[in-house]
Order: sequence, then C-alpha cells, then structure tokens
Amino acid sequence: MTRAIRHITMLTLKDLRIEARGRQTIGLVVVLAVLIVVVLALGLGSGGGSGGLTATAILWVAYLFGGVLIFEKTMAVERHDDALAGLLLAPIDRGSIYAAKLLANLVLMFALALVVTPVGIMFFQFDLSVAPGGFALVMAVSMIGYAAVGTLFAALTSSTRLAGGLLAMLVFPITLPVVLISTRVLANLFEHGTSLAGSGLALLIAFDLMFLAASWLVFDVVLEA
Amino acid sequence: MTARLTIQHADIPRFTQAGAIEARTGQSDSRRVLRLAQSESAAMLPAVHAVGVHKVLDDRPILRDLTFDVPAGCYAALLGANGAGKTTLLRLLSTLTTPTRGELEIFGRNSRRQGALIRAGIGLIGHQSMLYRDLSALENLVFFGRLHDLSEPGVRAMDLLDFVGLVDRAHDPVKTFSRGMVQRVSIARALLHEPRLLLADEPFAGLDAPSVDTVERLMAQLNEQGMAVLLANHDVRQSLRLAERVLVLRKGRLALDAAASELTVEQVLREIEQR
Amino acid sequence: MKSARVRIVGPVYGIVTFCLLAAVTGMMVWWTPREETMGDVQKVFYIHLPAAINTFVACFVVFICSVMYLLQRRSWWDDLGFAAAKVAVLLASIVLLTGMIWGRSAWGAWWQWTPRLTFSLILWLLYVVYLMIRPSIESSQRRALICAVYGVIAFMDVPLVWLSTKLLPDIHPKTISMAPEMRLTLLAWFVPMTMLAAGLIVTSMRINRLQRAASEPAEELDEPRLVPAGGQA
Repeated sequence: MTRAIRHITMLTLKDLRIEARGRQTIGLVVVLAVLIVVVLALGLGSGGGSGGLTATAILWVAYLFGGVLIFEKTMAVERHDDALAGLLLAPIDRGSIYAAKLLANLVLMFALALVVTPVGIMFFQFDLSVAPGGFALVMAVSMIGYAAVGTLFAALTSSTRLAGGLLAMLVFPITLPVVLISTRVLANLFEHGTSLAGSGLALLIAFDLMFLAASWLVFDVVLEA
Repeated sequence: MTARLTIQHADIPRFTQAGAIEARTGQSDSRRVLRLAQSESAAMLPAVHAVGVHKVLDDRPILRDLTFDVPAGCYAALLGANGAGKTTLLRLLSTLTTPTRGELEIFGRNSRRQGALIRAGIGLIGHQSMLYRDLSALENLVFFGRLHDLSEPGVRAMDLLDFVGLVDRAHDPVKTFSRGMVQRVSIARALLHEPRLLLADEPFAGLDAPSVDTVERLMAQLNEQGMAVLLANHDVRQSLRLAERVLVLRKGRLALDAAASELTVEQVLREIEQR
Repeated sequence: MKSARVRIVGPVYGIVTFCLLAAVTGMMVWWTPREETMGDVQKVFYIHLPAAINTFVACFVVFICSVMYLLQRRSWWDDLGFAAAKVAVLLASIVLLTGMIWGRSAWGAWWQWTPRLTFSLILWLLYVVYLMIRPSIESSQRRALICAVYGVIAFMDVPLVWLSTKLLPDIHPKTISMAPEMRLTLLAWFVPMTMLAAGLIVTSMRINRLQRAASEPAEELDEPRLVPAGGQA
C-alpha cells in the first residue's frame, strides 16, 4: 500500500512538474474558460439571466470544456514519445497510473475553478456568501466524478486523431447527471436555503465512487492496446 | 535552467576519466553498467523460449506458430518486411501484450502469469524514446529509476549517462537533444534496472551515421557484458555484421532462424521478400 | 446448409413480425376504447411502453457485448454491440417521439423538462454518441475498445441518470386505470416489438459481419477464423 502511494505521489508530482515547466495547459484552459463565461454572459444579455441556476450552469460549461482540455493535455504528455510504455514496463500497478493521472487532473481543475469561479460570480452578480462552503463542496465532489470519467476516456482517445473532440463527445453525455444534480442541489441551496444533507449530494458521491471503481478496474485493459 | 532537480546532489559522484573508463569496461564492480557476473542458475535458461506462439489482433493473425529460442547472452537480429510482425513480437516479449495461443517464456518465466518478473529482467528501446521531453535527461532517468525501486537512482542515472557519454548534458531537457542523443538516453533508460535481455525495435531508424555507430557500439558492449540482445532491424547487411543469430519473420511466420555466419545478404533478402 | 436455413428462417421471421405488427396496430386503432381525457393520443402509449422496455434490453445487450469484448477481444462482440446500439437508438427515438406526442396533448407543449422525458433524452444521447463516434476512429481495434469501455460506463450511468432526473419536478402520470382491452393490447404490443428489436439486432449484426469480412485483406483468410462460444459455427 505504501509502495502504491509512493508511486502515485511520484507520478503526480512528475505531471505537475512538467506542467510547471511549460505552463502550457493551465494558461490555455483558464483563458478558454474565461472566454466561455464572457461569451455566455454577453449572449444572455448583461444581468438578464442572473441567479444561482444560471451562474452555476454557465460555470459548468466552462468547467466541462476546460476539463476536457486538461484531460487531453495531461494524457498527451504520456503519449508523446510513448513515455506511457516506459511506465507500463516499470513494476508498478496500472491502477497507480490512473490514480496519479486523476490527481494531477484534479489539481489542474481546481486551479481552473479558482480563477474562473470568481469571474463567473462577478459577471452574474451571484451571491456566494449564502453558502460558500456548500458551493465548494458540491463543485469539488462533482469535479471528482467528472475527472474520474474524463481521465479514463482521455487514456482511450489520446492515441486517436480526433483526441479532443472525441473525448468531449464521450464524456459529456456520461457526466450529464453530475451537471444536473449539482445545479439542482445548488439551486435548492441558494434559492430555497435547503440543507445539503438531501439525496442530491449522496447521489453525487455515489457517482464518484461508482466511476472511480469502474475506471480503476477498466484502466488496466485500456492501456494494453 | 530554472528548475533544479529534486534528487540530492550528494548522490551524484564526480566522474574522473578513470571512473568513466572503468564503467565502460566493467572492471570496477560499483560502476559496472551490468552486474551479471554472479548470474544464478537462471543463466542456463534461454533468454527467450517460444513454443507455438500465436497473436491474433481483432481476428487478424499477426503472429503464427512461432517456435524459437534465443539463448542467454546471444545477440540476435529480427528481420522482416514492414507489417511482418516484428513490433508485435517485441511487444509480446516485453509483456505489453500476451500471446493469444502458445507459450512464451523469458528466462524461464511465463509471460502470461509472471509479467512483472519478466519486466524486471528486460529493457526495451522502442520506436519512440519513452522519455518526457520537458524533463532533463537526468530527471527522466531518476524518475524511471525510482519507479524501478532503485536504491540510489541518482548514482545509477549518472553512471548510465556516463556510459552513453551524455554526462555533460545531464541537466538539459530532452527536447533540446538531437535524435542520436535521445536514442542514447533511451538506451540508458532501458538499462536502469540492469536487465538481462535488451529488446531494441529499430533503434537505428532516423539516426545519422555517427549516432548509428555509437548506438551499435553501445549495444555490442552490453552484449559483451553478457546481456542478450534482440534487435529488430530492416538493414540486412548491418544485422549480419552485428548479430550472431538471425530470425526472419514473413507474414507473421518464422521464415528463417540461423547463425549469421552461415548466411549471405542475398539469402536473407530472399527469405524476407518471398511471396 | 447454414445459408439455406438462414434464407428460409430470415424471411419467415420477418413476415411473421410484420403480420403481428399489423395485427396489434389494428387492435390499437379499432379495438381499444378511446380514453376519456386524452382522446386518441393516449394510444401511443401501447407503442411507448414496449419500446421503452426493449430499449433497456438493447442497452443491456450493448453492455454485455462490451464486457465480453473487454474480456475476449473478439470483433464478434463489437459487431453485436454495435448492432444492439443501433436498435437501442432506434427504439429510444420511438420512446422519445411518442413521449413528446403524449406531452403535447397532456401539457400543450412538445417539450417539458419532466423527469421521464429528460431521462429518455439523455439515454438517447448516450447511445447516439456510441454510434456517432465510431466512424471517427480509424483503427478498428481502437474503435472496438473505446466503444466497449463506453458501452460499460454508459450502462452504469443509466440508473444515475434516472435518479438524477428524479430531482426535477414531476408531472408524468403515475398510474393509468386501464380497461381490459387496453391491458391486453398493451401486452400484445410487447410481442412484435420484442421480435422487431431482436430481428433488427440479428440483421444488423449479419451486415456488420459481412462488412468486416469485406474490409479485411483476403490474404489473411487462410487462417481458420475464431468463432466465439456464443456464435453459430
């Protein structure tokens, strides 16, 4: 177990170090996400569609597209020059490779959220002070589920010609429930002051656990081809 | 050169000319690239032992009924036209995939059940470098060395960089290297865990003449130190010059398996191209 | 022998299915009573429910094929999964359309974000994606692998989609009081609908196999073909 944790830490730090060197992904992703928020804010007319539901929905659009780019980029690092084969030849568990990639993706997604969320909140006059903790919790749990699925499919699509577009096609429909649940839960939280203890959050956690487990199991097979 | 390494610099020994020579000739035990001297009983086992190996991908037979041995310490060349199955065979031998039918043993270990043990005993040089281009040569080697649970990855990495003659470029990112230098780093990467079988998939592809020469020499040295080498190649003349044994694949079947000294270039070419 | 048998069984199966379909359509149109509040539009329900059940069955077939492909890596499973996905999308489209027709009559709008309509839509999207990504992946092996993983994950997603749509406000009819004729017609509709689904999967599967055989180089055919345990040798 400690060996696996050591491997996961090593692999994650390697990804983050490569990202820190080039800063190719995070810069691109943040700009894309801010662009999306701006385009939607203009499209909806300033202040026309303010309110919790609109703001969270638009933030989700930004997170989804930003996420796809992150998943694709971090996996491209492995496919480039086939470094992945080097990992596969090392005596480490394939699950560790998945876990490490997921962690690196999550770090980048959280970084993205840290920049884009304030922008979205500002543009839509969304009052976060009602339940900032609840907002962060719901978004974090949702992103874990999204990244779990995204990391798995990024490994599958990264060797195809259409990598990015294909990844978005595969991941969006599967993560629709996450978007649906989290926007619902947040709407209830911000507009009706309902507590988080309801079924929504439990459902999000169930989604996370289910797809983490499934991805962990399938990842072995995915890397083989 | 902003980011520094995370390994302790104390790990990295200062190299003297004498030390470098020792490493190359393998006289000093601590600096040897390979520590095969104390080879166990496994030394008697063949590096590769294949019996009736088939590989079917997507209903398509890629390899058919391959039966051959590569003795430990042997330098064998694997020849064949494009699509004859050379890469697939090397992937099988490196346990990146498993045979559909048949038995494959590497140093007596079954490729289906003992993949991890086999991986500890083989080094692979692929079409691509298997390195992270944004990391330095040393960082790459230290990273992979740690994955292989080396006790002193920094020392080992520097030893190997010395062996391939790239100590002075250790801290430069791999993306600034020439094709030949990258190939030398990837040889160093393949040697990190002291494998006893080196699988090389077209290691000379895209290299300029001096680099080809260097890589040839490195592989010959490793073979002299007792490492078995299986070289997938398409240059027949070069293969006959380098290897002791020649295996020819044609449409997934073993068309020829003979000692290199008994063969002429024309004979081998005929076997490769026969319709 | 085999092809002769297929040549007879295939058309007979098709004709029987078609006749049954005509019969239950007749039952639906002339025999069942007119529902009081909804009028004739209520009759789409006889199509709607059997189609919905068969959609799930087809999705389940995709799931099984995906798992089997991951275990065995034989294109046979990919072809069957593809066939089942096509039928799943076709049936899901029927479910979605009949649901919308119902909704138009019940609520006066073609589309309402009710749990069940939303669920049908997401389900339809999930499997349309399965079909749509296929042409854009060149390597047949990669395609089969990606689709198999997707087939597993998508099926696991279905209950979550269902539970998540429950969070939306519901105006779907909970129970319907049915006259005996209505009940019988509904049951009768299950037979041709299921036969149609199965027949389409098999036909589509045969076409997939032929296409795959045609796209493969002839020189490779000298090797005996691998036929999985479930296949007809």
